[in-house]
Amino acid sequence: MKKKLLAGLLAVAMVATMFAGCGKKVDDKVIHVMSFTDEIPNMIQKYLDMHPELGYTVDPTIVATTDQQYQPALDEMLKSKKDAPDIYGLEAAFVLKYTQGDAAGFAATYDDLGIDTTKRLADAKIATYASEVGTRPADGKVVALPYQATGGCFLYRRSIAKDVWGTDDPAVISEKIGGGSGNWDQFWVAAEELKAKGYGIISGDGDIWHAIENSSDSAWIVDGKLNIDPKREALLDISKKLKDNDYHNETQDWQDGWFADMKGEGPKQVLGFFGPAWLINYSLAENCGDDLTTEEREGTYGDWAITTSPVGFCWGGTYVASSKTAVKNMSDAKKQVVADIIEWITLDTDENSLQYMWANGTFNPEKATKDAVASAVVMEKSNGEVEILGGQDMFEYFVPAGDYATGANMTQYDEAINGCWRDAVRAYVAGKVDRAGAIEMFRADVKSKVGIE
Amino acid sequence: MKKKKGVSYAKWGYIFALPFCIAYLMFMIYPILYTFGIGFTNMTDKLQMQIAQEEMIGIETTKVELLDNVFENYEFVLSDPNFWGSLKNTVIIWGVNFVPQILLALLLAVWFTNGRNKIRGKGFFKVLFYMPNIITAATIAMLFTKLFDYNKGPVNDLLKMLGVIDKNIDFFTIEWTSKAIVAFVQFWMWYGYTMIILISGILGISPELFEAADIDGASGWQKFRYVTLPNLKTIMLFTLVTSMIGGMTMFDIPYMIGGSGGIRGNIRTASVYIFEMSFQGGKLYNRASAASMIMFVMIAVLAAVIFFLLRDKDEIAQHKIEKANEKAFKKALKEQKAKGGVQ
Amino acid sequence: MAKNKNKVGSVVAHFWIYVFLILLAVLSILPFWIMLMNGTRSTPEINANALGLLPSKFLARNWEVISTKSFNAMTGFVNSMIISAGATVLSVYFSSMTAYAIVAYRWKFRRAFFTFIMAVLMIPSQIVSIGFYQMMYSFGLNNSFLPLIIPAIASPAVVFYMKQYMEPALPLEIVQAARIDGAGEFFTFNRIVIPIMKPAIATQAIFAFVQKWNELFIPSVLLTDTDKFTMPMMVSLLKGDIYKTEYGSVYLGLSLTVLPLFIVYFLLSKYIIAGVALGSVKG
Repeated sequence: MKKKLLAGLLAVAMVATMFAGCGKKVDDKVIHVMSFTDEIPNMIQKYLDMHPELGYTVDPTIVATTDQQYQPALDEMLKSKKDAPDIYGLEAAFVLKYTQGDAAGFAATYDDLGIDTTKRLADAKIATYASEVGTRPADGKVVALPYQATGGCFLYRRSIAKDVWGTDDPAVISEKIGGGSGNWDQFWVAAEELKAKGYGIISGDGDIWHAIENSSDSAWIVDGKLNIDPKREALLDISKKLKDNDYHNETQDWQDGWFADMKGEGPKQVLGFFGPAWLINYSLAENCGDDLTTEEREGTYGDWAITTSPVGFCWGGTYVASSKTAVKNMSDAKKQVVADIIEWITLDTDENSLQYMWANGTFNPEKATKDAVASAVVMEKSNGEVEILGGQDMFEYFVPAGDYATGANMTQYDEAINGCWRDAVRAYVAGKVDRAGAIEMFRADVKSKVGIE
Repeated sequence: MKKKKGVSYAKWGYIFALPFCIAYLMFMIYPILYTFGIGFTNMTDKLQMQIAQEEMIGIETTKVELLDNVFENYEFVLSDPNFWGSLKNTVIIWGVNFVPQILLALLLAVWFTNGRNKIRGKGFFKVLFYMPNIITAATIAMLFTKLFDYNKGPVNDLLKMLGVIDKNIDFFTIEWTSKAIVAFVQFWMWYGYTMIILISGILGISPELFEAADIDGASGWQKFRYVTLPNLKTIMLFTLVTSMIGGMTMFDIPYMIGGSGGIRGNIRTASVYIFEMSFQGGKLYNRASAASMIMFVMIAVLAAVIFFLLRDKDEIAQHKIEKANEKAFKKALKEQKAKGGVQ
Repeated sequence: MAKNKNKVGSVVAHFWIYVFLILLAVLSILPFWIMLMNGTRSTPEINANALGLLPSKFLARNWEVISTKSFNAMTGFVNSMIISAGATVLSVYFSSMTAYAIVAYRWKFRRAFFTFIMAVLMIPSQIVSIGFYQMMYSFGLNNSFLPLIIPAIASPAVVFYMKQYMEPALPLEIVQAARIDGAGEFFTFNRIVIPIMKPAIATQAIFAFVQKWNELFIPSVLLTDTDKFTMPMMVSLLKGDIYKTEYGSVYLGLSLTVLPLFIVYFLLSKYIIAGVALGSVKG
């Protein structure tokens, strides 16, 4: 009887190991990719499709960031000797951990791959902040680069601008909202003018937050201590002012009300949103009320335009890195392929480069969207005219917007600390705590979550 | 129910209990000790990363070490207002969901098992009531977030239509409404489960007991009070304890609803607190472990108290029944046993 | 006369009972309905109004999104099935076995053992997740189903339930009789005890299966190979990142995830519906 039990247990264990056993591939002609969406794996697939003579395939591992699973999984893979990914994706929210923070040591430098990084960066005119963010302080070498440019602008509704100021000319509107002024004074004037006509200026305080966050002078942590930059602290007052004066629809970014305002279906019409180019592709185009499958253009499609934001900022973006362990174990031939792929994504500028296709909407002809990309060289020779902006060339404003962007005010804990800050601001605006109480609440949250005081 | 001693079968008890013990040792005790251990160390994500990176280049200067003050992490957690806040939230949300949940489940269980009132489609209803438990919590959280949305939520629309309010309510920033929503979702997800457990418990009560009570002319309420309830004690205890553990470790719903635009502190439960500590921000495994252990001790103490209280009451109730219907019941029981034995 | 009065009262009571039950039933169905309907709606439609009760025309498009992503319903289904079925079988079988050890045998540490189970019942599994996943990684058991299946052998809550159920339901006379007939202990357990436990097993099997099927965090930390992904992980794959969630396809994916659960649930639900009473002995 005992034997039977043992046999049963063994059988279960064997079946399970059988399932567990299969799947480990020992093949050098495979590019192992770790990412949080299929965007990067698809790019690599595209590259390999363009170069069938290489005979390589992609093995993607995709773990979503939405429920916080990506980083633990990536960390374990980076630590492991056999599973270390050849290429991995890093989102702006946590890129610093992997380029300058706790996990920076796992990354291979672009130089390790045989890329002449300094020259290529200059040739492609990659925005300085992008290479700053991707540079490891320990050795001053670049370990990750983005393919998008995420400098932000103000996106506004032409019809509302015309109604209030009699024109929809981006240059004029920029003046009206204090574009490039570095402060919010003119913005409040505009808000009051809009209010008089029954409009809001933005959808919710989250919109303005992204502009504030990334235009602040110092980061959340300075010398190991929690630091509240005055510009960021001002969100408390700005947010309250917005609400008390009824300048917005009190929406939350990424929630229903926010999307409704893109479509122009909120309680009151709002002038616009702050965001980089990807916001137009990922969110605005999808939510402007237009059924993109038909010829008819509905909703707010085509009613949009972009202009300079009062304060310069950048928001989001995906970085590409390669792991040291994987590079060490690669054959020279494979290393060349990996290097070529990374260059193709982040540094190449010719018409077959990823960034060129990305900027001109030719990467996926079925879903042709244009995006601002990291290389200024590509941007110069690309056409950024898009229908949703009524034919405006969006690169005209997004390219200079990149200049404001800086990586100096970021920390690897930004995602968590921002969450705490937004919570505290919300509690203050809702009247749950007073101003000092909100800051106290914020400090307590950060202390317990991040361990920084 | 007591049995005569088995002759030489004792060893089979060990054999049958062995797989459980081995698996438990490997998959629970070891991780618990591990968790317990790191609560006294300096181990954080940062440190682990550093160690792994040093290993890559073959040096070993950083190590996981016991803290100079081994209770530092415990002291931190115990003095953290967020920890106590999260504990308070947990208790409130669990309590507000559990009391109506067990009452409704009990009511439904009695309705569905009562032979006299003929409810049609019992099976249909039973199957439906358990269904909310099938859907992943993520979907349910998303659904309720949308239902109670400040700007576009149908609940706000409905209240406005009925004239209850004239301006939208931001449910998730108001403390009591956000807690109430989470409690309601928990209630709604779990009453079906509790109902099924209670039904199986009621069906487990020997029908002879009910027959005997019928013969004595007991009313519906009296039967419920003196037969159903006392005999349901162990199952109720099971429900209470499992629900309490589930409640104390409540995570999915408050975590996901909290992440979508409310004030997180309002509905941050202890598990969310631990999760945030260990997987977001600083990834302070050592402090999170300390918090886990503190919670474990609290739950254990609480459960011990419940066991103690209910055991006592059980005996008192038993006493009452015995006084009331002693002979009839015992006879019935004996008969049943005799029958069972012959067959 | 009293009976007549009761009847009128009971008709009214019945009416309200039905109203109440139907209300609860609607509450139960609503989310499923919304989920199914949203699977046919486009993301902007859902962003505009999440609670569409009527189908829209984007089913094909959502399906297209799903199939162009790395979402592989078949793989996810098979993986989830292996994990959930494996864990469920182990959980109910070994829990019954452990309960049987407590109920049927008189051994020295029997009481101590049961007290131990009661005690460990309190340990929430989440609190050991840090230790658990680090341990599994150090054993190299990532991307293996083992750490998701084998621990189910030790499910204290199921043991507790089985024990509570078994005590009144299993007359030990039967076991004695079987022994007299020369049956071995395992034979008795497998052929006599398990059939008697069927209703309890079915109930706990449903719970265990559903719980395992919906588990997200531990699997998504342990399984990083796309070929090993479970159904819920596939769905969270559709979500990807916050900047561009395709809600229509997420709902469609969720609907696909729930489908197998429904099948399992309705297959086993006869035990819930019929309310199979204890005591196969009494019949």
